[in-house]
Amino acid sequence: MSFLEPLLLAGLPLAALPILIHLINQRRFQTIDWGAMRFLLEANRMSRGFARIRRWLILACRALAVAALVFVVTRPLASGWLGIAGGGAADTTIVLLDRSPSMHQRETSSAASKLETGLAQLIGALELADSKRWVLIDSATLQPQELESPAALENATATSPVSASAHLPSLLQAAHDYIGENRTGQTEVWIVSDLHSNDWDAGDGRWQSLRDSFLQFKQGMRFHLLAYAEPPKQNIGVRVTDVRRQRTNDGASLYVSLHLTSDNEGKKKLPLRFDLNGASTEHVVEWEGPDYELRDFALPIDGELKQGWGRVAVQADAYPVDDEFFFVFADAAPRQVLLVAENSGIPRALKLAAAISPDPVFVNNVQVEDPAKLATVPWEELSLVLWQAPLPEGDVARQVDQYVAAGGQVIFLPPKNPGDEAYARARWTEWRDTDGPASVENWRGDQDLLARTQSGAALPVGELQVHRFCGLEGELSKLAWLRNGANLLARQPTTRGGIYFLATDVAPSNSSLATDGVVLYALVQRALAAGAAERGNTRNAIAGTLDDEIGSNWEKFAGSDETLSTEYALVGGVYGDDDRLIAINRSAAEDDAEVLTAERVRGLFNGLQFDMASGRAGDFAAIAREIWRVFLVCMLVALCVEALLCIPKATSRAEALP
Amino acid sequence: MAVDRTDRTFVDPKILGRLAAIPLSARRPMQGSVSGRHASPHRGASVEFAEYRKYVPGDDLRRLDWRAHGRTDRYYVKEFEADTNLRCCLIVDTSGSMGFGSTGLSKFEVAQRIAASIAYLAVQQGDAVGLSCVADGVVKSLPMKRNPAHLRLVFDLLEQAQSAGPTKLVSTLHELAETIRQRALVVIISDFFVDPSELRECFEHFRFRKHDLAAFHLLDPQEIGFSFQRPMRFIDMEGGTSIFAEPNDIAERYRKALETYLTSLKQVAVETGLDYHRMLIDEPFDASLMRFLTGRTKAGGVR
Repeated sequence: MSFLEPLLLAGLPLAALPILIHLINQRRFQTIDWGAMRFLLEANRMSRGFARIRRWLILACRALAVAALVFVVTRPLASGWLGIAGGGAADTTIVLLDRSPSMHQRETSSAASKLETGLAQLIGALELADSKRWVLIDSATLQPQELESPAALENATATSPVSASAHLPSLLQAAHDYIGENRTGQTEVWIVSDLHSNDWDAGDGRWQSLRDSFLQFKQGMRFHLLAYAEPPKQNIGVRVTDVRRQRTNDGASLYVSLHLTSDNEGKKKLPLRFDLNGASTEHVVEWEGPDYELRDFALPIDGELKQGWGRVAVQADAYPVDDEFFFVFADAAPRQVLLVAENSGIPRALKLAAAISPDPVFVNNVQVEDPAKLATVPWEELSLVLWQAPLPEGDVARQVDQYVAAGGQVIFLPPKNPGDEAYARARWTEWRDTDGPASVENWRGDQDLLARTQSGAALPVGELQVHRFCGLEGELSKLAWLRNGANLLARQPTTRGGIYFLATDVAPSNSSLATDGVVLYALVQRALAAGAAERGNTRNAIAGTLDDEIGSNWEKFAGSDETLSTEYALVGGVYGDDDRLIAINRSAAEDDAEVLTAERVRGLFNGLQFDMASGRAGDFAAIAREIWRVFLVCMLVALCVEALLCIPKATSRAEALP
Repeated sequence: MAVDRTDRTFVDPKILGRLAAIPLSARRPMQGSVSGRHASPHRGASVEFAEYRKYVPGDDLRRLDWRAHGRTDRYYVKEFEADTNLRCCLIVDTSGSMGFGSTGLSKFEVAQRIAASIAYLAVQQGDAVGLSCVADGVVKSLPMKRNPAHLRLVFDLLEQAQSAGPTKLVSTLHELAETIRQRALVVIISDFFVDPSELRECFEHFRFRKHDLAAFHLLDPQEIGFSFQRPMRFIDMEGGTSIFAEPNDIAERYRKALETYLTSLKQVAVETGLDYHRMLIDEPFDASLMRFLTGRTKAGGVR
């Protein structure tokens, strides 16, 4: 319980006033010479049970009445966590809103989602609080948005649902930056979230630094979390894992592979609805168990249709976000690889790794060029650049920049004689020999080019033998490193596209990349596939991974009608940009219903003033409401009881004289 | 009867004048030493015929009823009732508790007035009066005498007596019951703050000794009402421990204890034939005395 006028709680000691008066009264006794002592002694002996505690009951009632009166004037709020007004009026109140897809979950009995419920409850609670400034930071844009009042949250644009995952450390970082830049005073931070593990990313190293940073703020800070951790019930989700257009004898077919998930292990019969460029098809699947994999389900399409979009939907349930999945497809176009090499002899293994496509549908074309002859290269057609030459500089570097910014992938391999050239704040130093064959100490198997295969098997990176490697300077993300800590494969963080540095080359004297060709082939083909996906005419993207501004020029083909054009890149749907088609969907992690425990969440805010309340979608009960009336009633009851206890027994003189 | 010209605060001539109109009677035959106005258990020379009895040698021949002898040819002696004087023993409680009074007069002062009035009335009609002041024993005592000069001594003793000290009323009453030799009218004036069951034994002892026992039970209005507003420290006037109490808390139980006590005492009075008069000291004492005297007049003359 907290109070809107907490300073008045200082008056709580007044509850002891009746006791004090009683004690003073006891000290103001009169002395009298008394003859009839035998009756007093008898009366004392008769003092038993209720008669003995009556006086204390009266005192307790009086103290209770005064305490209740004090509580009435302090305007108490009913809730288990209301630190709303615990420290008086806040200077700034920041609302951190988790707009992730999991916040769209509804209760079966209510039409309101967690997000809507959270907003409504938050507005109700904040209207009781006092603050000079109201700021909203949402998980999709991370942009602070000042509000006139808590009620403005209801109509704020950044409160509509999106398909992009949230990242709580980033959200808190945005709040931290806002507080630092605006030098706010007493700040209340309200977080509305569903504790989804993927969104909270409890393992992120930033949590510790954020905690320390918040603790360093001299102004008071308090965090309130409104959590809606209820998992979805009777939920069935669909996710398209692969879409492939293939020519057939009588035209073409679209092969769709998809994955169905359910929290019900019983037998299910479910109609799947496929929408292709607006035309619908239905297919009924039956399965038992939590998962179902539908592979290469053929949908006949017009042979002339080179590219298009589609949507797979299951029947609506309480978690609507995973009930549909958008996809785009296109006829497989040749994938262009540019191999920039100082001489054409050395990168033969590279050329082979790039040229051989793992899927017969795709054709890989490899173009080998000398670094000095790049002027005529059609950069816009490239999907991957393999660069084994001095790092680009000048105009060439700018061309590579543009290529990467457009989604292209580039892998740099060290030249024979590294110079002082630098690219993307990284540069080669010099070749070094290892003490005997060096193996890879560790690598990132969870993501990026060396991630595990779809079947879960790890790439044999540990079997690689490195005899020579080239030193690498720059702030890079390590993807694989040798036992001495030197980078083997590193990545320069980029908003789009990929810039990789491989610290050795494929020459057998330098490494076993060519002889143990699996790793080389996988990483080249994965980079090529990523580049092709970015650079092709169609793209299946994860919401929130694209630059927000890109979406503002798109045209919408499918998706929610309520989506703002500025948020196309964040909301599931199919969009068009010139000749390109882009399908936006939720990330795979959003299908995982795992949530953080309350203890874990408290641990993340350890050391900070933090309180937490749990809610449920559709439960609009106010999380904070004034309950002074309850205390008023308590006071009246206490006074009435006190009055009843104080009523003296009516005795007349005649009665006392039998 | 002007035997005492000293101003006594506890003697009011107007009240005595009013009370003198009613005789002080005994409810039982008295054994006085001289002739008086009270019935005696013996045959005497009064005008009131009692009975005939057969003559036995040695009887006074003057008392032979010759008329009866003429009628029956037998010798009968004619006997008459004897009238004798009253011996009145006043027992005044002078223990500490008698000093309490919330109305301007203490219980002891009221007791002085009652005792002085009864003494005056008794002496006035030729009866003997004695006085015993009792507390933890017989503090002071005057024997029963009937001469008017004795009244001054009684008044002096009443004037000198003070309420103080603890009380041992029960043992003292037993002692007095034993030491008063002949039948007497015993008037006890006290607050009787003693266990009624012990008092019963005392009263029965007096009855056994054929005394006519009367009691004036004096109570202060505050002792009845117990109406205090502030916490009080009650100090025992008879030297016991003091008690600190919140009157509001204890009043109800106090009244209950008092009520139980008064009921028991009244029951004891009825069962022991006690002439019991309870009075609050804020009431006019002469009214109580009037009731006392008239009550005895109605029941008087029983032989």
